[in-house]
Amino acid sequence: MKSDEVISKERMDEKQKSFVLVKNDDNNQSPKTPKQKPSLFKRYFKQFDMQLLVIPGLLLILIFNYFPMYGLVMAFQDYNIFEGFWNSEWAGLKHFKRFFNDPKFFEVMRNTIVLSSLKILIIFPAPIILALMLNEVRNMMFKRTVQTITYLPHFLSWVIVAGFATSMLATDNGSINILLEKIGLIDQPIRFLSIPEYFWGVIIGTNLWKTIGFNSIVYIAAIAGINPQLYEAAAIDGASRLKKMYLITIPSIMPIIVIFLILDIGNLLSAGFEDLLLLGNNPVLRSVSEVIDTYVYRVGISNGLYSYATAIGLFKAVISVALLTMANQIARRTENSLW
Amino acid sequence: MSKRSLTALISLITVLLLVMAACGGSNDTSKANDSKANNDNNDANHNSQLSDGEVYEFGSEELELTMFGNYDWYSMPAWGDDLASEWMKENKNVNITAIDSGGEAAQKLSSMIVANDFPDFIWTDKGADVERLREAGKLIALDDYMDKYPNLKEWLSEDAINMLRSEDGKLYQFPNWYNSEPFGNAGYVVNKKIWAELGEPEINTPDDLYHFLVEVKENYPDIVPYETHVEAQGVDLLYSAFAEGHSPADKRIKAVPEDDKLTPLFNNENYIESLQFANKLFREGLMTQDAYTQDLEQVEEKILNGKVAVYAGASPTEFATDGHYRLLEEDPDAGYIMIPPIAKEGLNRDNIHPGSYEMLGWNVAVIPVNDEDPGKPEKVFAFLDWLTGPEGQSVQNFGVEGTYWDGFDDEGWPIFTEEYINDPDGIAAIVNGSTNHQWVGNSNFLDTAKANFTMELPVEDRLWATHWQWEVTWPTQKDQTDYYAITPMPEEAEGEILQHIDDIADEAIASAVQNAKDEDEVREIMLQAQADAEAVGYDQLLDYLTNKWQENLEKLGW
Amino acid sequence: MDKLTKSDCLMVGFIYVALLLLVFVTFYPFWNSLVISFNSGQDTSLGGVTFWPREFTLENYEVVFKDKRLVNAFLISILRTVVGTAMSVFVTAMLAYGLSKKELIGRKYFMIFCLLTMFFSGGLIPTFILIRGIGLYNNFWVMIIPTLVLVWYMIIFRTFFQQLPKELEESAQIDGASTWGIFLRIALPLSIPVIAAISLFTAIFHWNDWFLPTIYITNDKLIPIQTLLQRILNSNTATQAMANLDAGSAAHFSKMVTSFTGKSLSMAIMMVATIPIILVYPFVQKHFVKGVLIGSLKE
Repeated sequence: MKSDEVISKERMDEKQKSFVLVKNDDNNQSPKTPKQKPSLFKRYFKQFDMQLLVIPGLLLILIFNYFPMYGLVMAFQDYNIFEGFWNSEWAGLKHFKRFFNDPKFFEVMRNTIVLSSLKILIIFPAPIILALMLNEVRNMMFKRTVQTITYLPHFLSWVIVAGFATSMLATDNGSINILLEKIGLIDQPIRFLSIPEYFWGVIIGTNLWKTIGFNSIVYIAAIAGINPQLYEAAAIDGASRLKKMYLITIPSIMPIIVIFLILDIGNLLSAGFEDLLLLGNNPVLRSVSEVIDTYVYRVGISNGLYSYATAIGLFKAVISVALLTMANQIARRTENSLW
Repeated sequence: MSKRSLTALISLITVLLLVMAACGGSNDTSKANDSKANNDNNDANHNSQLSDGEVYEFGSEELELTMFGNYDWYSMPAWGDDLASEWMKENKNVNITAIDSGGEAAQKLSSMIVANDFPDFIWTDKGADVERLREAGKLIALDDYMDKYPNLKEWLSEDAINMLRSEDGKLYQFPNWYNSEPFGNAGYVVNKKIWAELGEPEINTPDDLYHFLVEVKENYPDIVPYETHVEAQGVDLLYSAFAEGHSPADKRIKAVPEDDKLTPLFNNENYIESLQFANKLFREGLMTQDAYTQDLEQVEEKILNGKVAVYAGASPTEFATDGHYRLLEEDPDAGYIMIPPIAKEGLNRDNIHPGSYEMLGWNVAVIPVNDEDPGKPEKVFAFLDWLTGPEGQSVQNFGVEGTYWDGFDDEGWPIFTEEYINDPDGIAAIVNGSTNHQWVGNSNFLDTAKANFTMELPVEDRLWATHWQWEVTWPTQKDQTDYYAITPMPEEAEGEILQHIDDIADEAIASAVQNAKDEDEVREIMLQAQADAEAVGYDQLLDYLTNKWQENLEKLGW
Repeated sequence: MDKLTKSDCLMVGFIYVALLLLVFVTFYPFWNSLVISFNSGQDTSLGGVTFWPREFTLENYEVVFKDKRLVNAFLISILRTVVGTAMSVFVTAMLAYGLSKKELIGRKYFMIFCLLTMFFSGGLIPTFILIRGIGLYNNFWVMIIPTLVLVWYMIIFRTFFQQLPKELEESAQIDGASTWGIFLRIALPLSIPVIAAISLFTAIFHWNDWFLPTIYITNDKLIPIQTLLQRILNSNTATQAMANLDAGSAAHFSKMVTSFTGKSLSMAIMMVATIPIILVYPFVQKHFVKGVLIGSLKE
C-alpha cells in the first residue's frame, strides 16, 4: 500500500529522533564511567559558544525579573510606601489568613477554576480548529482575507467589546432580544446580562470571538513550517484531505499544542480580568464573576492594600507553579515537555 | 557530587551573588531617600515659608509650576491653549506643566513617592491618599499661608475648614468646588409629553408613581416606565420617599442615624419598605430590566430619544438637559420636567431628601514639601489662593475682564456686560477651555455671581438644568457634611469589615430588587443580610462610624 | 492539484460556510467602530448607527491630527517598534535555540529559571527603583531593554527549534560549522514562519504598550503614540463633558468619566492607534507560505 510508505517515512523520522536521543543518553551516561570524567568546568567551557547563546537572555531575566523580586517581602509586611521595604512593619501571615478567611474565598476560587476550565475546554481548541480549517482553503485570497479579518477583534479593547456585548444583549432594545422576538422564539426579552446562569456563557462567547483569530496565528505558522514533502508523499498515495489532516497536520503541530496546554494549565488561576470586570462587576453577577484577579483589583489594589494584593498574588503564583509542574510531568509521557 | 547538583549549585550561587550585589546597591539609595524624607519632616514647618511677614505677590515674577492630577481619566490640557490660561500666562507670568497620569494614576503616584520627587501641587480626592501623604510628612500645612493670603479664608466657611483639618489640627487640603449653599441634582425627571397625554396626573406618593408607571406600560409598550440610571441609582432614591429626614447617603455608609447613634441599614423598616416598592416595580416590568448592568451609553441613548417616562438618579439633569433640548427641536410640547420628590402618605414633604451634598466640595489640591526650593510652596499657595478668589474665578469662568464682565461692584461681584447675555457660545467656549484647569473652584462665589444674574432672566431663557435646580433639586438636597470621612481606612480592622459589609449589601439589595418573588421575600433577604453582616462584625463597624460621626457633629456644632 | 473526494467536498463546503460566518461576526464590530469614528459625536449618542455614518464628519480625526506632538510620537512609536522587535526577537531566539539543545549544561535549570518569571513578579516599586538606579528613567531604551526577553515567545521558539530536522544540523556540524553558524545559517532560515509570527506579536506588544512610558518617561519628546492618544482622548472628553456641568455635579461626574467618553472621538483615536499595526499583518502573512525554504536548503 502506498499510504504505508507515508507512515513508514514518519517512522523513519521517529527513528532518527530516537537515534539522537540515544546518542544523548550515551553522553549523559558517560560521566558515570570512572575512566573519563571531564570536570563540569571543562565541559562548560568546551561548549561555551553554545552557552553564549543563552547568557544574554538569562542575564536580562536575572536583572529585570529576579532582582526586583525582593518586593515580594511586602506580602509578609504591612507595607508602607513611605517606609520602604526595609522599615515597614512585619505582619507574618496576616494577609494570607485574611484571604483564606474571607467569606468570599470559596466563591472566588470556584469561579476562577470553573471559568478557567471552560476557557481551556472551549477557547483553547477553537483557534486550532480555525487554523486547520484555514489550511484546507486553497484560495489564497480568501484565506488571507479570513485571516486578516478574524484577527481584527484582538485590537478592539475590552471596553469596546464589552460595550458591544452590553448593548446587543440588553433587555431594553437589545438587538439579540429584538431578533429573537421577531423570529418568535421568545415573547418576553431575556435578561442575558443580569441572570447569573447566563454569565459564563456570555464570557466564553465574547472571549472566543475576541481571541480566536489572533490565537490561530501561531498554529498557522506551525502548519506553514511542516515539511511539504510529507503532504506530497501523501498526495501521491491519494490520501483524502481528512486523512492528511489526521496523519500529518495534527501530529506535526502537536508539540506546540501540548506546550500551550501545559502553560494554560499553569495559568489555571488566571481566569481573565478586564472582561470580567467590565461585564460582570455588578452586584447581580459578582457571585459568578469574581475571580482571584478581579478580587485582588477590587479589594486590594483599588483600596491601596498593596501587601494584601501581593500576598494573594504570591499564593496564586505558588499554586500555579505546582500546577505547571504537574502538567509538565504528565506531558513528559508525550515527549513534549517544558523541561 | 553529581554533575547536576553541581550545575545547580553554581547557578544558584551566581544568582545569589548577583542579587545580593544588586540589592546592596539599592539598599543604599533607598536608605538615602529615607533619611532625606525624615529631614523633610523636621524641617518642613520651618523652611516652607518665605522670611516672616513677607507676602509673595502672585504675578510679580515668572512662576513655573508642575502639577499632577491623581485620576486615571485626567490629562491636563496644555497651559496657554485656551483664553483663560493664555491670559494668566501672559499677565500673571505663570506657566504650568502637568505630570500625566497616563491612565495609571495610582502607580504614577507610587513612583513619585518612591523617588521622593513631587510636583508643586497634587490634585486628588479627599481622604486616603491625602492622609497617607500627610502622615509621612510630605505635605505642607496651609494654616500659616491662610493668614497671609486673603481668599481661601474669606470664601471657605469656618465649619468647612474645621472639617477639612487633619488629626494634628492643621489644614493640608485646598478644596475644590466648596460651597456653603445647598447644591446637587438628585431627583425625578418626568417625560412631559407622556405625562400630559396621560392627563397630567399628580405624582406625590409612591402609590401615585406606581399607578402612573402602570398607565405608561399599558399605553406605551416601547417606553421604559422607570429608568434608574446606572448602578440602579433610581432604587436608592426611592429610600428618601419612605424615610423622612434621611437621604440616600445612608445607603452609602450602610447605616441609619437614629438619635445619637448609627443603626443597621439592612433591617431598617423604611429601607426594607423602599426595596419592597422597588421590587414591585421590577417584578411588574415597570422599571428598566437592565438596572444593574447597563452602561451610561445605553442610558444616554434612552434619555436622548425620549424613551423613558420617569428618570431618577443622583444627577439626572446632565442627560435630561441634552434630551430636553433635543426633544424640543422635534416637538415644542415635548421635553422633560422635574417633579418635587415623592413621599409616602403622612410624611412631611418638606423634609424629603432624594440627594445629599457636602459643603467641602468635590476634591482638593495639596502642596508637597519642596526641599530644593523651600519657598516654592508658599508661591504655589499664593497662586491657588488667587485662582480661587474673585479675579481668578472670573477669568476662568467669565473670560478676561472687559468682554463679558467689567470690574466688580461694591459687594465684590463681577458686573456683567450685555455681551454676557448675547453671546452664550462665547461663554461656553471659555468654560470649555478652562474646566480642566479648575482645581480650586469656588462655588460660593460663582453660584452667587451667576444667581444674581440668572434671577434677572425670564424663566424661558434660563437653562433647563438651572431652572430645575432652583425650583426642585437644590432646595431638597440634604447637607450631609456630617458623614464626611467617617468610614475607616481600608487597612484598619474596621476597613476590612466595611469591605465585607459593602459586598453583602450590594448583593443582598440587588437580589431583593431583582429576584424576590414578593414582599416577604424582600424582607427575608434583608434580614438574612443583617445576620450575615453581624457575623462579620457589623456592630463594631457601627460603633466606629458612630464615634466618627459624633466627632463631626461636634466640629460642625450641629 | 489534488483531487477532491465526495467527503472532501462536503468538508470544504462546510469550512467555507463556517469561515464566512466567522468573518461576518468578527468584522461587524470593527466596521461599526470605524463608521462611528466618522459620525458626529452628538448624533452617535442617539444610538442606532450601524453600517454607514448617519452624520458624516471628519471632526473626530481633526481633534487628533491637529495635535502638534503627533508626528514626533508617531516616529517614536515606529522607532521603538522596529528596534524593539528586531532586538527582542533576536535575543529571544538565541535563548530559545540554546535551550533547545539537549546537551546544554544547566538546560533544565535555565528553563525553570525562565518559567518562574511568568508567575512571580516583584511588583512595580522595586522595578521602578531599579530602572532609576541604572539610569534608564526617562531614557528611550527603557522601552526596549527591560522587555528584550519575552519568555512566552521564547517557549514557542524553542518548541519550533526542537522540531527542526536533525539531519541538517548534523551534516553542517560534520562540515565544521560552529553552533552559531548553524543557528544563523540553518536554524533561523528554517524558522521563517515562526519568526514572522513572533515578530508580529512582539511588534504589536511594542506598538500597543503604554504602561512603560507612562511610568518611566516624563519627557514629552519620548512619548509614543499610544500614550499621546490617550492624553488627547482624556483631555478632550473630560473637557467636553465637564463643561456642561455645574459645580455640584462635578463630583458625581468624576465617577462616571472613566466609563463615559465621547464614543465617536474614542473610536477615531482607536483607529489612528491601531490601523498602522494592523496593516503589518498582510506583510507578515506571506511568510506563512509552506516550506519553501526547507526545499531550497535540501538542494
